[in-house]
Amino acid sequence: MSYLIDNREGVQHLLMGNEAIVRGALEAGVNVTAGYPGTPSSEIIEAFSKIAGDRNIYAEWSTNEKVAMEVAAAASFAGLRSLCVMKQNGVNVASDFLLHLASSGTRGGMLLVTCDDPGALSSVNEGESRLFAKLVEIPLLEPGDFQEAKDLTTWAFGLSEKIKNIVMIRSVTRMSHASGNVTFGPLPETVPHAEYSCDGPLLDTETGPVISMILAAPELQHGPQQEKLEKAARLFEDCPFNTYTGPEAPELLIVTSSACNLYVREAVHLLEIDDRVGILKLATTWPLPPNLIKQNLMRADRIFVVEEVLPTLEGNIKILAADMAPETGIKTFYGKHSGHIPSVGELNPDIVVSALVRILDIDYRPADATFEYEAAALADTMAPNRGMTFCPGCPHRASFWSIHHAIALDGRNGFVCGDIGCYVMGTLPSGYSTVKTLHSMGSGSGLASGFGKLKQFGLEQPVLAVCGDSTFFHAAMPALANAIHHKSPFTLMLLDNRGTAMTGFQPHPGSPVDVMGEPAQAIDIEAICRAMGAKVEIADPFNLEKTQEMLNHLMEHGEGAKVLILRQACALSPERRGKKKFDVSVDETICIGENCGCNRLCTRIFGCPGITWDNDKKVSRIDTIICAGCGVCADICPVGAIRKKEVA
Amino acid sequence: MQCFGSRELVDNVIRQDLCIGCGACNDLCPYFRSRKGTTVMLFPCTIAKGKCFAHCPKAEVDLDELSTTFFHQRYGTDPLGHYDAIMMSRAGANAGTASFQAGGTVSALMRFALERHYIDGAILTDRKGIVPTPRFVTEPVDVLACASSKYAAAPTVAAVNRAIRKGDTNIGIVATPCQALAISKMRSNPLNDHSFIDPVGLVIGLFCTWALDMQAFESFLSRRIDISTIKKIDIPPPPADIMEVFTDKGKTEFPLTEIRQLVPETCSYCIDMTAEFSDISVGVVEGQTDVNTLIIRTDRGRELVEEAVSAEYLVLSDMPGEKVEHLRWAAGNKKKRGLAKAKEKAIINKPAGTGISYLRINDETLNTICP
Repeated sequence: MSYLIDNREGVQHLLMGNEAIVRGALEAGVNVTAGYPGTPSSEIIEAFSKIAGDRNIYAEWSTNEKVAMEVAAAASFAGLRSLCVMKQNGVNVASDFLLHLASSGTRGGMLLVTCDDPGALSSVNEGESRLFAKLVEIPLLEPGDFQEAKDLTTWAFGLSEKIKNIVMIRSVTRMSHASGNVTFGPLPETVPHAEYSCDGPLLDTETGPVISMILAAPELQHGPQQEKLEKAARLFEDCPFNTYTGPEAPELLIVTSSACNLYVREAVHLLEIDDRVGILKLATTWPLPPNLIKQNLMRADRIFVVEEVLPTLEGNIKILAADMAPETGIKTFYGKHSGHIPSVGELNPDIVVSALVRILDIDYRPADATFEYEAAALADTMAPNRGMTFCPGCPHRASFWSIHHAIALDGRNGFVCGDIGCYVMGTLPSGYSTVKTLHSMGSGSGLASGFGKLKQFGLEQPVLAVCGDSTFFHAAMPALANAIHHKSPFTLMLLDNRGTAMTGFQPHPGSPVDVMGEPAQAIDIEAICRAMGAKVEIADPFNLEKTQEMLNHLMEHGEGAKVLILRQACALSPERRGKKKFDVSVDETICIGENCGCNRLCTRIFGCPGITWDNDKKVSRIDTIICAGCGVCADICPVGAIRKKEVA
Repeated sequence: MQCFGSRELVDNVIRQDLCIGCGACNDLCPYFRSRKGTTVMLFPCTIAKGKCFAHCPKAEVDLDELSTTFFHQRYGTDPLGHYDAIMMSRAGANAGTASFQAGGTVSALMRFALERHYIDGAILTDRKGIVPTPRFVTEPVDVLACASSKYAAAPTVAAVNRAIRKGDTNIGIVATPCQALAISKMRSNPLNDHSFIDPVGLVIGLFCTWALDMQAFESFLSRRIDISTIKKIDIPPPPADIMEVFTDKGKTEFPLTEIRQLVPETCSYCIDMTAEFSDISVGVVEGQTDVNTLIIRTDRGRELVEEAVSAEYLVLSDMPGEKVEHLRWAAGNKKKRGLAKAKEKAIINKPAGTGISYLRINDETLNTICP
């Protein structure tokens, strides 16, 4: 049994922030959960799926984040408590529905859990989801530690039902993926009953149809929506998760939220200035409770706002402070606008320390700035310098090898429009720098559709695009339909590795089993593309020669959009993990190493981590521990020194 | 000779439009490949002196060094290169029949060389559609399948490299002048490899005034005829001035003035019309469609021709003096134009250390041909 459903009240468990959010939702009696995988959010649906049977929960990996939010909203409309979860980029995808959902309102408590990634540790951007709360006029909550990640989540369901609208909870990587002790509360023993009441009057929020339809009468829906937000602000005045610690009248008031709360506490502790500064830790960051803010602004003349990425909290507090100036006096603000805190990247205690030292003129000498460089240089002498690369045996490496060859041999300066997945590394030497555009989910195909129509303006380059199987369902299908309909000539290489590999191999609509382990209807990608009207070919990317030939043929022949499905399971998939197809070895007597005729093609260019360079013997060798046994390197070795033997 | 690596090859040959796509740098390593006549470098290579550069017929070709290696004398002033004899020839009664161009001399000699084991295998140029494709044959009868001219530049030397890597020796090759030059560079062991053994048993060179850019040629023809049904392509000897393309639907003629538009820039630098670095050179005879010009350049070339004549694979006749002079005049014109172009571009005889030359040639010969 999972510790997440430990029903002993008061027991403590060490939980990841994401697990604390799950436990909080369980304590609130959540029934329906849906999401789309994306670091750092993916553990939440995984955890729900593992206890789905025990707690009568429905969990799904939806086709995309918008659909996930719709699935969760349906449960709310039917009176259940529900939660949808996504990373920051996902909120962009879901935002169209979110705007309308915020307008129509909800019934059963419903949360949008978004896990942002300041510093873009596992993302293509560090986009801000907090601004959406203000944009679509819904409450935003941000837990400041792990216990709060649980407690605030439970509390948020109640808030959602009090104001009859969706509530957004925002975590960040260091909150979602770090762990802390969490004391459990009781799990409810309620029997859910789903029923959608929709026969009442049009705008009756309890019994009528749930619609977002303002139709030139904004007062009917937009007015009540804003009243909900005002009600939330009133509730936030007494919210137990907004806390102040420090002297009654500090020299400096620090306002912070989320993981920055932890950085601030560490910095204050390190500098031993507990008696000089006060910390207002806010869990309810939109709308801000004005009285609470006013009381705290009165404490000090100097205010320091500590938050990650954009000055969102800082801006909102400044607006209130401007209104309150006659009562609170003019404040001096420190934060992003003053240049004390960067608007780019993750924060850490050191950054907060540096800012506090400047603001409070503290004589503090941190480690010399050169220390970091020296430490890095020392690390270089001991650890191999490895760029980001694909796993040993990854089919993407083989695919990009063939794509690179096909484009080079075609000779017309073709390029690949990239998409989101492990194959973003197609932009890097690990993918032979083949990918030349990279934006959001499905954008590769959309851009390729556009590039394909530029021939009349002189664009002669062959246009290609890549997308993964999960990305195909998520967002590439509309772009492909567009290209086919408009006869835009490009070649889509569908890197079908049999799952949502980058985020941990979650199922998608092409998978035969869902996240709860139930049989699911697997949708045939090839049939979809054919039905749309594309010419479709299928190749095994491990067959380099055939893949290259097919690609060159597709680039040169045929009208409109063409699809090459490069099908080979991810090396970490259940299908392939731990199972080698080939035993691979290097014949040292044949390997010519650095000499003319090879010049270390396998270790210098091909770059599979499963092949290493023996600098003493000047030959390549296979690291049999990590080699996945795909055998592709044997096919690229120009002298046949790499041997593959089928595993019996 | 000065030798450099792949970077210099790309900068000084490929990027300067000097590459003809002979295939000399292909299949030596994984870095250079060619497709439809275009040679590309797939990945950067860091080796300072490579075979790719050393074998390239457009990079640091030291004509005196090569001439000394193969003919034991420095590169002379005769536009026809070093030779023993110039004759006229055609296939003999025992050589079989095929879709030859002109007298069928090349096919007859190659077939004979394979049959009598002068060579163990032959690299010829076949055709896939209109794309010339090198082919390694060991059966004499397969020679005839590769008969007839191709006209588009082909990476034939790549097939030589492949055969060598497989361990083949005593290889016979039918080569255009640039291909023959690349092979002679390779045979001179430019990187002083101690284990080097000359794998080439025979080079039959083909006269060439230019080749066609494969992709341009394909695009030109495909706009005018169904290229999938092409059976033979021929350029009858001057003064016809046409190219004939035979398909299912018969013969289509294209004026050479149109075809010459498809000649790549690099051919205008070429100084070799008669494939001087070969054992035997074969070409057409002006005004005659059923015989070839035959130039014997080496002892083994002479020996093969004599044997082929006595076995009735080849029939020889004397070439009238005025025809020889006309050939010399034509070859001299090509040489003069190529040298003038190389001078104009300042890619000839650069002092060592000041840059890379396409050609190196002694002053006397240079000034005699191209004052």
